[in-house]
Amino acid sequence: MLPETLRFDFPILQKRIAGKPIIYFDNACMTLKPTPVIAAMDDYYENFPACVGRSAHKLGKLATERYAKAREKVAKLIGAKPEEVVFTRNTTEGINLIANCFNLKSGDVVLTTDKEHNSNLLPWQQLKEKGVVHRICFSKPDGTFDLESFKKNLDGTVKLVSMVHTSNLDGTTIPVEQIIKLAHANGSLVLLDAAQSVPHKKIDVKKMDVDFLAFSGHKMCGPTGVGVLYGKFELLKQLKPFMVGGDTVKTTTYTSAEFLLPPEKFEAGLQNYAGAIGLGTAAEYLQKIGLENIEKHEIELNKFITEEISKIPGVKILGPQNPELRCGIISFVVEGMDMHYIAQLLDNLENIAVRSGQHCVHSWFNANKVPGSVRASLYFYNTKEEAKIFIDTLKKICALR
Amino acid sequence: MVVCVIALVVFAILGIFSARYRKLAKEAFECTFKKLTFKPCDTGLDTRIKAATTAKLMRWPRAAKFMHKNFDTITSILFMVMIISMAWSGYEAGKGVYNYAKFGNCNGPDSSAFCIFNIAGAEQQRMGAVSCTATDCTCVTPKINCTLEGADYTPCSGATCTCPK
Repeated sequence: MLPETLRFDFPILQKRIAGKPIIYFDNACMTLKPTPVIAAMDDYYENFPACVGRSAHKLGKLATERYAKAREKVAKLIGAKPEEVVFTRNTTEGINLIANCFNLKSGDVVLTTDKEHNSNLLPWQQLKEKGVVHRICFSKPDGTFDLESFKKNLDGTVKLVSMVHTSNLDGTTIPVEQIIKLAHANGSLVLLDAAQSVPHKKIDVKKMDVDFLAFSGHKMCGPTGVGVLYGKFELLKQLKPFMVGGDTVKTTTYTSAEFLLPPEKFEAGLQNYAGAIGLGTAAEYLQKIGLENIEKHEIELNKFITEEISKIPGVKILGPQNPELRCGIISFVVEGMDMHYIAQLLDNLENIAVRSGQHCVHSWFNANKVPGSVRASLYFYNTKEEAKIFIDTLKKICALR
Repeated sequence: MVVCVIALVVFAILGIFSARYRKLAKEAFECTFKKLTFKPCDTGLDTRIKAATTAKLMRWPRAAKFMHKNFDTITSILFMVMIISMAWSGYEAGKGVYNYAKFGNCNGPDSSAFCIFNIAGAEQQRMGAVSCTATDCTCVTPKINCTLEGADYTPCSGATCTCPK
């Protein structure tokens, strides 16, 4: 387990509501922000709140330098080169960028899993108008990825495999190395929605050989409104820009434009500099703790919670029952009880913050006729003591039935 | 549905005094309206009220369990009580208006008790008996202890009246 002293880095964890501490188990939605990240953003606004890459004055130079440094830090986190890191608003924007820039033609197939967040479902549904086919690879009954089904679905028409690396619905992680190898052998490119994996485990894009990878800052102790799209440089070069405008071009005439190389070509207009600098600090912060340690810590807590939850009659965990296959996510339903009611009670009784509903994966819940679930999602600052309070409170709630 | 109607009435009244409750009243109205038009209420207000109520009772597990299991019944009873109380209040108010229109006092003929509709009388009653000094003043209601008649007056403190010119 990671030391509890890390919790002192999070101002919100020192606060109390109605005399009780906050137990934050909604990390799959949004993580808390440590002091270094908040300070890095304040530093930008207080000391060099200038434009990046445009102004020659001292403040402009400093802002440009720090923005570039942030890109380097983020690149280091995922084992990429800085020029392969495009700052976006979030994962959704990263996926939309590929959906709009990747040259998909009528008849081309995009293959996804059956547990995609709306961010990795709607962009492909929208392309139906262009004649692009969206194909789904269904999971096994136990919730794990069905590699055989994937192989069957993978044919010459599949141009892009766009899949959620770790599901925000149940925490399942797909066997990405095998998927990428098979996809590349088939001539397909791979885009990963890594919003739930980059913050929680060691990711090396070069080792994985993934073509594109998108993730968000707010799920990794970073600020909101900033995310990343990683792409192999050669591939990024081939893509047409998504949004065009200021800072994406070398020069223009009244009738033409000469675009800059990636990543600038995709970062049109004034960017969220404070956010990117904060994200860079968050990336550095996570690396200091160690992504391997974070993963271990979450699995250990998940094991404890899963073991205890399994003892409560009428509680069913979604996805694989083995906690090691679910990272830090415990998504469950309680027989005879409304998920929102449980979430409200957890909050009212012990300030336990969880998510309830369909977690933006409406398609899976609708197809499986499950109204929704309660989702507890962990991070490195959560403790076993918090997990015990969560279990005790859940037991009390379930005893109401 | 029932809890939304109760919430609508309660929050609408509280909303007169605090803006905080106006938002909740609006939410309760939306929920009631949706239910009345046979659409699902997706605001979650009923769930939140149930959770807040049950959470308050969690110190006494039996009471919490009773509330959790019988929430709909309890709210239905409260709803009935509210409707009966409103109907009774409406009846009494109507009777008062009728009496006031017919007898000049909402409590019926030959009553000198306090009447909310008679502002001047009520004010005078609050201040005690008033004796008017101007010669052209009169009392609005005959029951008030004034010596002059024939014009409106405004009672003032110190047991005197100011009379219209």
